[in-house]
Amino acid sequence: MLRRFLPALVPTLLAIAGFCFSLSDPYFMEIFIMVGLIGTVAVAWNLMAGFTGLVSLGHSLFFGIGAYTVAYGQVGFGLGPLVTWPIAALLALASALFIGLLCFRYGLRGYFFSIATLAFSEVAFLLVSATLWLGRSDGMMLPSSPETLRYLQFDHKWPYGLIIVGFLALTLFLSQAFLATRPGFYWRAIRDNEGAAEALGVPAMRYKLLAFGLSAVVTAIGGAIFANTFAFVDPRSTLGVELSIQLLVFGIIGGLGLLWGPLLGAALLIPAGELLRTYLGAGFHGVNIVAYALLMIVLALLLPQGLGGVLAARLRRRAPKKQAAAGKALAVEAAP
Amino acid sequence: MSTQQPLLAVAGLGKSFGGLRAVSDVSFGVMPGEIFGIIGPNGAGKTTLFNCLSGLLPLSAGAVRLDGRRIDGMRPHDICRLGLARTFQIVRPFHGMSVLENVKVASFSRHPSSAAAEHHARLALGRIGMAHLADLDAERLSVAEMRRLEIARAIATEPRLLLLDEMLAGLTATEAAALCEQIQRINAEGITIVMVEHSVPIISQLCGNAIVLNFGELLASGTTRAVLADARVQEAYLGSALS
Repeated sequence: MLRRFLPALVPTLLAIAGFCFSLSDPYFMEIFIMVGLIGTVAVAWNLMAGFTGLVSLGHSLFFGIGAYTVAYGQVGFGLGPLVTWPIAALLALASALFIGLLCFRYGLRGYFFSIATLAFSEVAFLLVSATLWLGRSDGMMLPSSPETLRYLQFDHKWPYGLIIVGFLALTLFLSQAFLATRPGFYWRAIRDNEGAAEALGVPAMRYKLLAFGLSAVVTAIGGAIFANTFAFVDPRSTLGVELSIQLLVFGIIGGLGLLWGPLLGAALLIPAGELLRTYLGAGFHGVNIVAYALLMIVLALLLPQGLGGVLAARLRRRAPKKQAAAGKALAVEAAP
Repeated sequence: MSTQQPLLAVAGLGKSFGGLRAVSDVSFGVMPGEIFGIIGPNGAGKTTLFNCLSGLLPLSAGAVRLDGRRIDGMRPHDICRLGLARTFQIVRPFHGMSVLENVKVASFSRHPSSAAAEHHARLALGRIGMAHLADLDAERLSVAEMRRLEIARAIATEPRLLLLDEMLAGLTATEAAALCEQIQRINAEGITIVMVEHSVPIISQLCGNAIVLNFGELLASGTTRAVLADARVQEAYLGSALS
């Protein structure tokens, strides 16, 4: 039981350690919040991309649904997270099922699925950017209120960090619970060969929708937390394609086939981006972005399986030696 | 026993791709417990026929009944749950998984809990003599082992009827003989088998009844001995092989 949840437990403990460390400085806490939030959303994205083989390029849609539901819920109706978060989750679930049914019904796979999801998120981006009551491209401020807990408004950043630790832990354990049981096996079978999976009794459509729905709900909660944490939403930071690309990059650099891979990617690349901005950004304009791009190219060339893939292979190499030896002994016994 | 109902009944099955008729008007019945052969040259429509039976391709005409129940038009996973399993001529292992996990995917269709699925997956591997390979990465198996993995996965879905698509092609004589023995053992354990095969000696050794396909049409059907002796069959396809 403990062993099964190790891939969720270890990152959670590391995140708690990172949170405690970040308590020393509000700047660190801000970085921790971005790593935890975007990293967790990347984990949810990876349930589809890494485990089911459905590479979404439009996950900002669900993030934006979460962020804007919280923002408009408070601005328009005075609703707090207790109401807006569940609504955000439901809206994201409904959108995912709609897009999923449409795409899977017409057999969109591979790149075509990715392009379709990108198209949906871009349409949402343009719609919101042009909608007056959602603040157009200027975005919306969440009005401050004395009711701290009802609207999750705190003077410091650390309570948000704490919420994100909870969000991260919940997502990791929930995902691992799925991955270690039937859905996880079915997802990987669909990823590896959908036709063979179906012939072996895997209802592919249903399980693809399950992955899509789960991933979208977690992403929307991430967007909702974003809105509450920064008390501000705008199309570019919550619905833009940059966010979707970020998830892809963290996944690829961290390791696609691993639950915690994208989290590792975020934990490495977000602080690296900040460091480069601090130390290089003051000089030539844009030098830090060039350096960041170079870092990603080097990582992608050196570690095609992602940083996590290399780490996992190291860890695995120790254990199965015993197993392989045992297997050989068995084979020798069975031979004569 | 002549009143017994066939386990698989195919009536007037046809399949066209655009204007091309891959299979037309094929009918046959498979009785419970037998090993049934399908013979035919390359391009005769054997694999297309299998794809139609297992639900991967929709039929253009005709009907397929499993134990009296219409299964044409059903999704592959539903057909699998009703007890029809198949293997693929071009093996399709799940690369990212171990041998055991590959089989576990299949046994999940009968046993929802992970522990039960794993237990039955190990049983299936044992039945096909692969228990010692359980923890190996599936992609590291040899061709013969991958064929057996295909069978292990198929029997892990606990089928009544198993469709084997050219299991023996490309194997050495020793490997083929071993696999034949295992196919017979699986059959003896109560699974009806329909096999597509090129090799006439193997079909005549294993199969009581057989059909011959040629250019998508049924050329002959009946007992294997009668079918192979049929003059049209010899002329169309086997002429050189038997002489």
